[in-house]
Amino acid sequence: MGLRRQIKLGILLSRSGSYSLISEACRSGALAAIAQVNGDPALDLSFVPVERDPGGNIDAYAPLCEEILRDAGARHMVGCVTSWSRKEVIPTVEKYGGTLWYAVPYEGFEASDHVVYTHACPNQHLLPLLDWVMPAHGRRTYLTGSNYIWGWEMNRLARERIMAAGGEVMGERYLPIGSRDVGRMIEEVRFARPDFILNSLIGPSSYEFMAAYRAMGLEDAAFRPDRCPVLSCNVTECELPALGQAAEGLVAAGPYFRGAPGAGNFGSSHEAAAFSAVMELARLLAGREGSETWPLSQLLAGRGGIVDPETHHTVLPVVIARVEGGAFRTLKRWEAVAGDPYLTRSRSIPTPSLRVVS
Amino acid sequence: MKRRAIRIPNLGGAQAIILHRPHPTVQALSRQLTAIGLQVVQTWPELGPEALAADYIFFDADMGHDGMFPWEPGQPPIPMIALIGSEAPGRIEWSLKVGSHAQLLKPVGDGGAYSALLIARDAFDAQKALSAEIADLRRRLQERQTVVRAVTLLAARGKSDAEAYAQLRQMAMAWRISFENAAARIVAAQGGADDRSERR
Repeated sequence: MGLRRQIKLGILLSRSGSYSLISEACRSGALAAIAQVNGDPALDLSFVPVERDPGGNIDAYAPLCEEILRDAGARHMVGCVTSWSRKEVIPTVEKYGGTLWYAVPYEGFEASDHVVYTHACPNQHLLPLLDWVMPAHGRRTYLTGSNYIWGWEMNRLARERIMAAGGEVMGERYLPIGSRDVGRMIEEVRFARPDFILNSLIGPSSYEFMAAYRAMGLEDAAFRPDRCPVLSCNVTECELPALGQAAEGLVAAGPYFRGAPGAGNFGSSHEAAAFSAVMELARLLAGREGSETWPLSQLLAGRGGIVDPETHHTVLPVVIARVEGGAFRTLKRWEAVAGDPYLTRSRSIPTPSLRVVS
Repeated sequence: MKRRAIRIPNLGGAQAIILHRPHPTVQALSRQLTAIGLQVVQTWPELGPEALAADYIFFDADMGHDGMFPWEPGQPPIPMIALIGSEAPGRIEWSLKVGSHAQLLKPVGDGGAYSALLIARDAFDAQKALSAEIADLRRRLQERQTVVRAVTLLAARGKSDAEAYAQLRQMAMAWRISFENAAARIVAAQGGADDRSERR
């Protein structure tokens, strides 16, 4: 074997700002995979990371993405945490024929030709979580979220599913990203007395909400997690240190929790999803000279693997787990669920097409 | 008027027909629709009878002409989405005339199909609901004269107009028929002519 191909790999993650813990988890997963690829003598390629840090500033994403793809000449990059930033970079990624490997749970309803989604979408997090919670705790909910598409769309879908199940939405409220102003939400929850709370807040808003909710539970048993649990599709181990005691009893859904059997030894599902993104990219590029310049569709064609060539989503385990003693303990687990971003492939109820032709 | 809630259609396995000559735009659009979960058929230069079993039509607004569609011009039985390349007034006018419910600009790239599907479905449903409502209002307008006559006949027995009107409403409820049909029954019973040109 000749010289190893040196392939640039962009990393576009905010190492400061309100969701930096998630960025750091993705970053360690990506760097661990790069180290493993670069140390593998059986591979004919090495990844050269090209890192850019938008610092949590939404307007820095597109220009830095352009630096990675145009100036540095990379075709693939791992990055983005919020859906807002992902949607900001997609036009640039499309313009330069690049591919974004996105390793964070998101709200679905997207299947870009230039993005691979290696973390979960709603049929892999929210819907199984609702299916678990309603029989166990009841169907009256309070919905919270950060004021952008993740919170909005998660709560829209939750409302649709809960109403269809005959449940009730007692309240729905949003906070700007970074805001710690949770007082009104907490007061509303106190009066609404729901059966469970869906928390789609991110970063400090979520930490503050969880701390205030724990304090309320110490005063009134109706708000203890065994009676009225908080659910999340975005909390993983990487944020447990920031949450501390307030995380106890939180129930989360995700593809991986620390200590899961036979799934490598990752700190969180963010780390696992970023790791598997880089490893899959290496597998697709290996032994195919020049493939680093191919479009994603060509790279995926006929190679099998974890990425569905139609939706660019992945088959993942679905795990529902509760924080107990500072770690997630599995409550329920499904082995392999295919990502269904438009909710058209699974769970769809076939209805006869009734049409009046007049 | 409060807007009704959008109905998110069940798109899994729905059939879309793309009426456009083979072109990269067709490929890009097919990719999007397949990712969303639809079955896609491309056809050109006209729609066959299979169009009557489809759920959505995407049609070329640049090269299109009236004969492309197997139905009355402007009366599509399913939602239609115009694929517009040249934004010339004449072409836009034509795509509206054939009854398009939404549009997608060419060249089609990485996005746009999902919102076009939802907007077209919503516009189609709204149009259908409005047409039905208008037809119903028209019918009731035509029957208004019958109602006036029935009220006059009832009032001739010494009731006020308001009392006669209330009585007619009660009769309709008791007979479990519409207000207008009750009026027609009163008029007929009195040997009067029924003004309704069409009965349903």
